[in-house]
Amino acid sequence: MKPPEYPGAVAPERRTKISSAGLCLAVYEWGDPAGAPLVLCHGMFDHARAFDLLAPLLAERFRVVGFDARGHGESDWADAYLWPADVADVATVLEWVGRPAHLVGHSRGGGLATDAAARAPALVRQLVNIDGFGPPENGSGGPPHFDPDPPPLPERLGAYLDRRRRAAKLDHWRPHPSLDALVERRHVQNPRLTREWLRYLAYHAARETEAGWVWKADPSAGRAFGPWRPEWIAPLWRHLQAPLLAVVGSEPDTWGPLPEPLLRERLAYVSDVRRASVPGVGHFVHMEAPIPTAQLILEFLEP
Amino acid sequence: MAPLRHGRVSLALHRLREGEGTPLLLLHGLRGSSADWQGAAAEWPGPVLALDFSGHGGSGWVRGGAYSPELLVGDADAALAQAGPLAVAGAGLGAWVALLLAGARSEGVRAALLLPGPGLCGGGALPDFDSEVALPPPDPEPLARGWDPAVAVLEEDVRPVDYAAAMAAASQRLLFVEAGSEPPPWWQAARQAPSAELPAADLATALPRLEAFIPSGGCDLVIRLVEVPGCAAVAGAQAGLR
Repeated sequence: MKPPEYPGAVAPERRTKISSAGLCLAVYEWGDPAGAPLVLCHGMFDHARAFDLLAPLLAERFRVVGFDARGHGESDWADAYLWPADVADVATVLEWVGRPAHLVGHSRGGGLATDAAARAPALVRQLVNIDGFGPPENGSGGPPHFDPDPPPLPERLGAYLDRRRRAAKLDHWRPHPSLDALVERRHVQNPRLTREWLRYLAYHAARETEAGWVWKADPSAGRAFGPWRPEWIAPLWRHLQAPLLAVVGSEPDTWGPLPEPLLRERLAYVSDVRRASVPGVGHFVHMEAPIPTAQLILEFLEP
Repeated sequence: MAPLRHGRVSLALHRLREGEGTPLLLLHGLRGSSADWQGAAAEWPGPVLALDFSGHGGSGWVRGGAYSPELLVGDADAALAQAGPLAVAGAGLGAWVALLLAGARSEGVRAALLLPGPGLCGGGALPDFDSEVALPPPDPEPLARGWDPAVAVLEEDVRPVDYAAAMAAASQRLLFVEAGSEPPPWWQAARQAPSAELPAADLATALPRLEAFIPSGGCDLVIRLVEVPGCAAVAGAQAGLR
């Protein structure tokens, strides 16, 4: 199948693979290789090609580097997943880039980018987080699947262990008869995104096998269990040295934005933060409105 | 040695002794292995099994290095699935894992014996946001060792007291062997649970109580206590009892 086209989407100009903790990560670049670097971190079950609309706009001024997170896109699957390991991968990419870089992350990628910038400040110049400020507190509302009243911890650990026992069976996505079947599934979860864009996105998020179309991402990616709680997200951000641009969309969406008081509470830990809101869009700010998003980012970032 | 799988990792479960009755599953400490139970001459009435955690001993390593205690609980749970209802004894990190397993699988874990050992404390009861935030440097190519260098992250996992208390409260029975120095907050929280026996001063008093909950006869257990550098240091001692 010929890759679908989409107005404004530009494929990366260069691709390579790098090693992180024994895993191979796929890396993509747009723009002048000698330019000031800018690293992009995608969200959960997305991939670097989700930035094909934003990256070319940023590449007018920067060497833009995107990568597929472990368990996503063309990067290797790991045997297990943990947030700190993903943060370390961001640092690995930054170190590979070779000089301090701007860092732009969306959703889970925004959270990872922020943690990486807090933990490895020497690697990061400025930081942009697009709607990636963590999940809401338990019980205060969230995406439809988010359990507002979770069962007791021992029961939840038991459920995690049950899934681990079935891991071999759960490791694989059900094949779909066509790319459009995958598009329909994504559209149910993300009704604000057009089917035309989702087709572009799904084409790079999936591969065609003999059995049908399957997602490339590892179904176990992000499925860890532990004592972590949402109150632990923001205090780390006290250590941020890079100025932060916090971007959200104005419209409610399947994921986010956080209730304003909670967002303000978390951003209060950041000494140098600027807020921006893109009107008329939901969680996927840079996909729904790449041009205004790029404008905000380019105004914020030093050359 | 029984072949066992947990997710994508192949685990080594060693059968130290045969027997009829409830199995005893031994869980080693951080950077240890089932070999640490050498000389644990267990006249346990049932089979005695010793598991190598992921990244340790004869078990496979986790590709990408994302080790966590809960992952190791999954390792132990794979052994539980194979062996059936059992008693568990864990040292250090193995004790934390034993507690979590006992809480999550309260039907299958008849009793858990917690012992000091390497990796006892983890990263403390709460994350430290004020120091130690820097990312650890990637491990250089390791010399041949008995463990995956990436298991170093298991020195830093946070063990909140409410998490420990919840697991302890759900457990059937817990026994503790304490070496006299201050145990970490999670251990102290677990001790408050209704299911917890008063701490044993030594193995001599602990073992008959562990065995008392298992429907069978007498038992001996010799466990080598090991040094825990930096935290709740336990004097190395060979504890033998009859």
